[in-house]
Amino acid sequence: MAFDIDKYTATSVSVAWQDLDFDEFESNPLPESTLRSLRYMCDIEYHTVCYLRDLLVTPSHKEADVSAFMTMWNREEFWHGEALAAVLGKHGVVVDFDQLKATRLKLGWKDRLDPIKQSLLGNIVGKDFIAVHMIWGAANEWSAVAAYNRLADLEGHPVLAELLRRIAKQEARHVAFYATQARERLAKSKKAQVLARFALKNAWGPVGSSVMEPEEVTHVMGHLFAGDEGLREIRKLDEHISRMPGLEGLTIVETSMKKYGVAA
Amino acid sequence: MPEQPEASVETAGGGAFPAPHFDVRDFARTAAGSHRERLGLESYRSARLTDDTLRALRYLQIIERATMTHLRSVLVTATHKDARITAFLVTWAYEKYWIADALEQIILAHQPEGAEADRSPFITPVERTIRESIVANIIGVPMIAVHMALGTVDEWLTQAAYRRLADLDGNPQLAQTIAEFLEVKERQLDFFEAQARFRLTESPRARSLTRKRLARTPWPIGAKAEPDSETRWFLTHLFSGAPEVVDEIDARVDTLPGQSGLRLIRKAARL
Ligand SMILES: [Fe+2]
Ligand SMILES: [Fe+2]
Repeated sequence: MAFDIDKYTATSVSVAWQDLDFDEFESNPLPESTLRSLRYMCDIEYHTVCYLRDLLVTPSHKEADVSAFMTMWNREEFWHGEALAAVLGKHGVVVDFDQLKATRLKLGWKDRLDPIKQSLLGNIVGKDFIAVHMIWGAANEWSAVAAYNRLADLEGHPVLAELLRRIAKQEARHVAFYATQARERLAKSKKAQVLARFALKNAWGPVGSSVMEPEEVTHVMGHLFAGDEGLREIRKLDEHISRMPGLEGLTIVETSMKKYGVAA
Repeated sequence: MPEQPEASVETAGGGAFPAPHFDVRDFARTAAGSHRERLGLESYRSARLTDDTLRALRYLQIIERATMTHLRSVLVTATHKDARITAFLVTWAYEKYWIADALEQIILAHQPEGAEADRSPFITPVERTIRESIVANIIGVPMIAVHMALGTVDEWLTQAAYRRLADLDGNPQLAQTIAEFLEVKERQLDFFEAQARFRLTESPRARSLTRKRLARTPWPIGAKAEPDSETRWFLTHLFSGAPEVVDEIDARVDTLPGQSGLRLIRKAARL
């Protein structure tokens, strides 16, 4: 399945919520634990640009298609942040740029792949490392789709569910890009497969775990993926990943969830 | 002044902060997307642009689309922590993407039916990034001033280039499209300039660092993606007949705190 970049850029829009009745949140507000999870997701969406910086250190951005995708993708993620901030705002939770900055200053941005890149030195600018970023991105986007759909189901709030499904639809387009790229690049190179396997196994963590406090990660992952149904979702994510060339048998999502006390 | 002003820029809780008049969220909300519907491409069939204009447009397309390359060098520094700036840059890249797209469409309209868009890989010196990021991170906050000043000067230069191109060619459709671009670019300049002026005013270290960096930068930003000879041609074509435009840009650079007398554009254009 090829990814049509021109079609993607031409149809890339900021997620809409102006047509949704946000006043519903006044009569039917969201519970505290959901707000806490939304806050986490909101922050992560805004921090996507920091993830971009990790991506850009490899030469992937030199390809016109990749560069075009990254531009649109980043903007869509920014608007996911804005949309979730609007929901939080209806509950008196203010998310502003100063707070986001405070998070970035306090925890810093730790590129999870940094140690891997350092251990490989000469290889990091190699083409094969692009495959690692692509499968990494795919894993994150699959997680995002699952997380938004899960939260929509769990909460059953009509307005929130509609918004989250709209966001999830955009996340699914992100999956399409990253997964297509990853599949092609992994299929072409044995070395890329070995690198990707090594990087995922040793460094992958739930989306946001490199910038958010561990107790927040635990709360969100527990909220979304606890129980049998949660475990089924987690395993579906691992199935997606392990179907990639050379990544058979990987269970990185389940393993990392266990680290945070989920799926135990 | 001690070296504390840096901190005051960064911990702007309720105090002064750069570019307070610029609403980044509003900028994002009203970002300029695709220009395709207003390019009037059919008009070029009867009124073709000159080959020189097309060559200059191709050069502009390449520097406009090089946003990810520029973002890379910006994001590996302390600048990435400033959420207002990153929010701005996300939208800035989006707007530039569509300007580059419009330029590509105009160029394609002058080629035989069915010609393919240029999808060749971008040329950028990647190897230097890691070393540069280490240096830039040691420098820390004053690097933000450097990036904002680079953006400011680049906007001055490229806006002047677009204006000159419209004048030199005289094609009315091109003039109209360029006027549309200039509106987009004016807002971007507003942010860069207000940020740069504030940060340069606050910090002596930012001033001296920026001065060094501006002098060392090949103009316009993104020039490294093209052979030197092409950059030389581009600047000569546009500015050799209008040295006063070059002087005017350099005079504007002089008004940035601590940046007078650099004569950046005159040197770049070798006039
Ligand atoms: Fe998202
Ligand atoms: Fe996404």
